[in-house]
Amino acid sequence: MFNKLRIGKKGENIIFGTFVLLYIGWCVNSPDMNIESLKSVLTIGLSVGIIYGLVALGISLIYTGLDVVNFSHGEFFMIGAFAGLTMFNLLGNQDWIFNIFPDAYGWIIYVVCLFTAFVSMGLFGVFIERVFLRPLTKKGGGYTVAGMGIIICGFGLSVVLINVAYLIWNPVAKPFPAELGLPMEIGGLFLPITYIWMIVVGLSVAAGLWFFLNKTKMGLGIRAVAYSKDVSNLVGINVPLYISIIFGIACAIAGIGGTLVGPTYQVVVFMGYIILMKAFAAAVVGGFGNLPGAIVGGFTVGIFETASSFYISGSHKDLYAFLLMIVVLMIKPTGFFGVQVKMKA
Amino acid sequence: MLKINQLISGYGSVQILNGANMKVEKQSIVALLGGNGTGKSTILRAASGLIRSWKGTIEFNGEQIQNLPAHEIVGRGLVQVTQGKDVFPAMSVTENLKLGGFILKSKQQLSDNLEKVYNYFPRLNERKDQLAATLSGGELQMLCIGRGLMSNPKMIMLDEPSAALAPQIVLDIFKNINRIRQDGLTVLVVEQNVRMALLLADYGYVIKDGVINVEGDSKKLMYDESVKESYLGGTKANV
Repeated sequence: MFNKLRIGKKGENIIFGTFVLLYIGWCVNSPDMNIESLKSVLTIGLSVGIIYGLVALGISLIYTGLDVVNFSHGEFFMIGAFAGLTMFNLLGNQDWIFNIFPDAYGWIIYVVCLFTAFVSMGLFGVFIERVFLRPLTKKGGGYTVAGMGIIICGFGLSVVLINVAYLIWNPVAKPFPAELGLPMEIGGLFLPITYIWMIVVGLSVAAGLWFFLNKTKMGLGIRAVAYSKDVSNLVGINVPLYISIIFGIACAIAGIGGTLVGPTYQVVVFMGYIILMKAFAAAVVGGFGNLPGAIVGGFTVGIFETASSFYISGSHKDLYAFLLMIVVLMIKPTGFFGVQVKMKA
Repeated sequence: MLKINQLISGYGSVQILNGANMKVEKQSIVALLGGNGTGKSTILRAASGLIRSWKGTIEFNGEQIQNLPAHEIVGRGLVQVTQGKDVFPAMSVTENLKLGGFILKSKQQLSDNLEKVYNYFPRLNERKDQLAATLSGGELQMLCIGRGLMSNPKMIMLDEPSAALAPQIVLDIFKNINRIRQDGLTVLVVEQNVRMALLLADYGYVIKDGVINVEGDSKKLMYDESVKESYLGGTKANV
């Protein structure tokens, strides 16, 4: 999961660098280009990017741990947002919290919401893995994957989860009016505080995951399971349990992502699909299966998308992520941090 | 210590073992010999819980362990040491060894066992911060054996410790296996290198087509005509 940056072939890097320079040239030539717009492009790009990164992190984690590409991951993001929103609505009209913390009222509630999304999505992910995905892997000995079926099932699960969410929360877009305070001024630019929250919380979650995987015993076990299920079994790791844990962590991170997006945009039943696709692009750009690569890929996709819609054309916003993915796949098929298959632990 | 009784097992619907019987006494080294595809590794995989046993029993320390989850079998003190290529290449040597002691509860014990393994294989101590991917074949095999020793096992099962290694290194590793036995462990060695394995072991089993074909004292097996013909090779043609 954590190998060093692979220095690609020289040719790859030169062609890729040329593309980057051409793109920057194009943006600089745009009439909207000035330092103000650049600042907002960077902040919006980073804050959107960290969300893509968080979802991509989950996709990569599941891919390394379970050898499955989880196509229902966007739905965990969406349900996470709803879990956060539900908690917010529960706490929103409780006067006693306001009486105890009159100043910090808004963000304490928001932190509780984030925590709720994290825990509930973690448990929900474990539940889904145990009840729906585990039976599919029976043929492969209880933890390996029995072919293409499980990928198609990911799509099915996605449809089912969307419809369940539709029944519970109906398709109307819901606001998430977290009271986090006034916009903050950074370098002459007024930023909605939710952007800061996204970047700070997103980066802390990513750093926390890094710490968890590299410094704790359970993390060591997870990395072992990701590399080889048989050898992990032979050193005494309870592999089926660890696979559930991996799935749960990935879903919990997606849930946090959903709650982070909520206050800036809105919470809708259909928000998972497009996020999944963008996160997919982010994972591919960063190098599929590589965790730091997922975050870097997320930032790259986020900034590229925002910059393009600012400076090139705003009417095709959703196109750019995939354009970037195609270019990266053409020139550097392994992404920025390509994973050599043998080294993926 | 380990008693395998009429074991039938295989992969998917392919039956490999057709009723194998084996017995490993405490503090002995037993060699399990056989050509490719005769079911040597299948016995190990069944004993360590990686594949199901279809029929028959596996007894370890007087308790039946067939079809327990693999990690519980490790917890009971029966550890399989894989071939040298099965390490975690992107982790350092120390991390690999720590994984071997994954079931240990106390940190003190973990560091004690690390000391013990470095004592067996000083080479690993020199390389302890290197990634396992950078080790040589012999060092990898040492790492695998060391990882097996980390969890305080009562018995280890070695899967072809001499595979693809230079004779000098094989000798070195076999000396260490003998040392491990002298420290109180029971060892089962699966080997294709028949001569070396019989020199090391006290008792030998020869497996053929999923059943034990010949068994006996290793000194006796070495001069057994049928073993000589089928595994040591060259008796008739070279005379």
